[in-house]
Amino acid sequence: MSLLVDGTSAAPTGAPGQPGVLAAPVVAGTRRGRTTSGRRTRIRPGLVAAGGFLAVVLLAVLWPAALTDVDPLAADPFAVLRPPDGAHWFGTDHLGRDVFARVVYGARHSLAIGLAATGLAVTAGVLLGLLAGLAHRIADEALSRTFDALSAFPMLLLALLFVAVAGPGTASLIVAIGIATLPHYARVARAQTLLVRRAGYVRQAVAFGSSRFRLVLRHVLPNVVGPVPVLAVIGLGEAILVASGLSFLGMGPQPPSPEWGAMLSEARNYLRVAWWGAILPGVAVTLTVVSLTVLGRHLQRRFDGRDG
Amino acid sequence: MPATRRTRSAVLATLTALLLGSAGCSSGASGEPVDAAGPPRSGGTLTWAIETEPITLNPHQYAQAKARLLVWNSFEALLTHDRDGNLVPWLATGYQVAPDGLSYTVALRTDVTFHDGEKFDAAAVKANVDQLRQPGYAPAVAAVQLRNLKDVEVVDPATVRFVLTRPDVLILDFLASPQGAQVSPRSLRTAANLKAGGTDVVGTGPFVLDGYAPGQELRYRKNPAYDWAPPTAGHTGPAHLDRITYRFLKESSVRVGALTSGQVQLVEGVPATDQPLIAGNPTLRLHRELNSGSAYSYYFNVSHPPFDDVRVRRAFRDAVDVDAVLRAVYQDTATRAWSVVSPASRFYDKRFEGSYGGNPERANALLDQAGWTGRDAAGYRTKDGRRLTVRLVQSAPFVRDRRDILAQAVQAAVRQSAGIDLAVSVVDQGTATEALNGNRYEVFDNSRADTDAGAALNLLLHSQGAINRVRSRDAELDRLLDTGQATGDPQRRTGIYADLQQRVVADQAFVLPLYAPADQVAASNRVGGVGFEPTAGVPASAYDLWIGG
Repeated sequence: MSLLVDGTSAAPTGAPGQPGVLAAPVVAGTRRGRTTSGRRTRIRPGLVAAGGFLAVVLLAVLWPAALTDVDPLAADPFAVLRPPDGAHWFGTDHLGRDVFARVVYGARHSLAIGLAATGLAVTAGVLLGLLAGLAHRIADEALSRTFDALSAFPMLLLALLFVAVAGPGTASLIVAIGIATLPHYARVARAQTLLVRRAGYVRQAVAFGSSRFRLVLRHVLPNVVGPVPVLAVIGLGEAILVASGLSFLGMGPQPPSPEWGAMLSEARNYLRVAWWGAILPGVAVTLTVVSLTVLGRHLQRRFDGRDG
Repeated sequence: MPATRRTRSAVLATLTALLLGSAGCSSGASGEPVDAAGPPRSGGTLTWAIETEPITLNPHQYAQAKARLLVWNSFEALLTHDRDGNLVPWLATGYQVAPDGLSYTVALRTDVTFHDGEKFDAAAVKANVDQLRQPGYAPAVAAVQLRNLKDVEVVDPATVRFVLTRPDVLILDFLASPQGAQVSPRSLRTAANLKAGGTDVVGTGPFVLDGYAPGQELRYRKNPAYDWAPPTAGHTGPAHLDRITYRFLKESSVRVGALTSGQVQLVEGVPATDQPLIAGNPTLRLHRELNSGSAYSYYFNVSHPPFDDVRVRRAFRDAVDVDAVLRAVYQDTATRAWSVVSPASRFYDKRFEGSYGGNPERANALLDQAGWTGRDAAGYRTKDGRRLTVRLVQSAPFVRDRRDILAQAVQAAVRQSAGIDLAVSVVDQGTATEALNGNRYEVFDNSRADTDAGAALNLLLHSQGAINRVRSRDAELDRLLDTGQATGDPQRRTGIYADLQQRVVADQAFVLPLYAPADQVAASNRVGGVGFEPTAGVPASAYDLWIGG
């Protein structure tokens, strides 16, 4: 089935004018070779736009020099707070640095933090959830109540608390957001584990004398993680947003690193005279998060549809 | 006592007449036209948005130039400065210096009372100085400003004598400084938290501290009994305003927004980018003044590599085009400093203008000579595998005038032109003090708004100085500072401080002077009497302010 776009798997050279063919190359670059399910053939413009934007963001992460040849740290004191023009597409900031180059290079910081934090949260969350679902009642209660307690705090506050203790920086930001988002995945994994462990095939495997370890690895885990990638895509958007928020507060990468939240923070005192310094990184964050959410919701619908 | 008689008979420096002569001088008001404010008028309430929250409300503990405008609302000193830098009486009526320079006899006003009803007299002055010399109370004041003070004698209730161990002209500057402000002896005895200050630590000033909401605001109300304004003030008698509130708004954009939307009537700390906005608004007025004291400078820590090598210090200075950096950060509103002494100070030495900086070729050649020849993947210079990293730790309560942004501009400049990695961090005061005391920094940034630049240099450069972050142990420097402190003749002092600047700025390259700190006050045109403290150049207290009907 296609994960990204419905309707076609046509090659980029497909006939123009056909909506499905037009849309495909944009998105196909990220997940080529998936065959269409053929269940729905309607093109979703929102989804195509989201996929397209994420492809550009991904390019900025992997190969920023493809998008700009300007050094994001190069300050030009003679070109400060210039509005957007041909030379500086997004204008320049208060130190005369090219805002477009900083937004492009900033993608790496913002996305890397989001991805690493989400990866950490998913791995630790699924393992803890699995443990809770399989463990003795007392251990399950203890773990579940811990997840509840962590969920009771707003995500931003919890992350802020951790960074305040561990000190600012990229690494502590990743761990902070990882811990703050972990209960989400742990609870889903625990609920799935409880479902799966009562399933017929598991009981059967137990009856056949399968070892506990093999049972978990072969039968429980694969069926538990099913909904997790979908959640992770939506969670990634959220993690990027929190990371930008914390960077805005000075808890993330330190100057002169181009990070979207930090750029917003630096530019906010110039908002009155130079809107581009704050608005454009803000738009980058917004579009990335919205795109990830659109994509995540779509995946969720497909996942639910398949299951239901 | 023969000593007393000898001093009394000394006719030297009876400045009282001179002081009275300058009483006609008007206040430090900037002379801008005041349209809607009309003539001075009593009554009303003002709100003033300020950038910096004071870390203490006790004037003895004063450390932030930005908090100086608050000190003189409720506290007063024995002396103050007029516009020409001369000392004039305030709570004193005059002073005499002994011929040997070893004692100062100060005559006091007899009509002054503290806010708590205590009488101001010689015993109160002695109580204040004794408190300042208590171990652990105000170590910087005791060790630097009062280091040559032997004792304070109460001659009679209206006369007090400062006896010195060696001649020290800076004792007069101390008597005019916030640290020398007079606190009620009852407050000194009974205050709940004396070092932090508060409503129970009171002075004699035109306003009484009414309330303090940390993180939000300070509220003052008029002292109706006040009738001892200094000759530098714009009027006499009680203050015009009934009440004044200072709100702490750290963000410059928030301050300016609060002013343009009418939530506050005055703001200070107006960034360059917002100044055209104020100037273009007919209902607002912008006032500017340069501060006295030391210039805002980067001090190099010479106690360990890489700045133990004078070539690296020179290279750092040559790597920065200070004019370009200042233009970027402050547009054309900043005044470049070429020496450690502020251009607004009478000791400023013009010789160094254009003598260094803005020369990347020389910077790179010097670094090559010093052995920093390698380059790492990020383009920074290296030596024996170590990157040329220098750390600047900024303490958040002292960051003003966008000095964090200025640091980023310098960071970019030294990286681009010489491959120097300037690592900047803005941290809370505790963390900063820890890093500075633990010698975990290479660059220290500072400016001081002392009225006598000599007082600032004593703190910053003397090997016994409380904030000698250069960590220099330079006997010649100590000798110059000590001589400057002991010399009464202004012209000879100027010569001594010129030699000192030669050593610090040119010969040793201990500092990279950046700009002369200035204060900007933007006010609604309904506010009258906006001005700056004479000589110090910081915004004046609220005493002369009024608001038009």
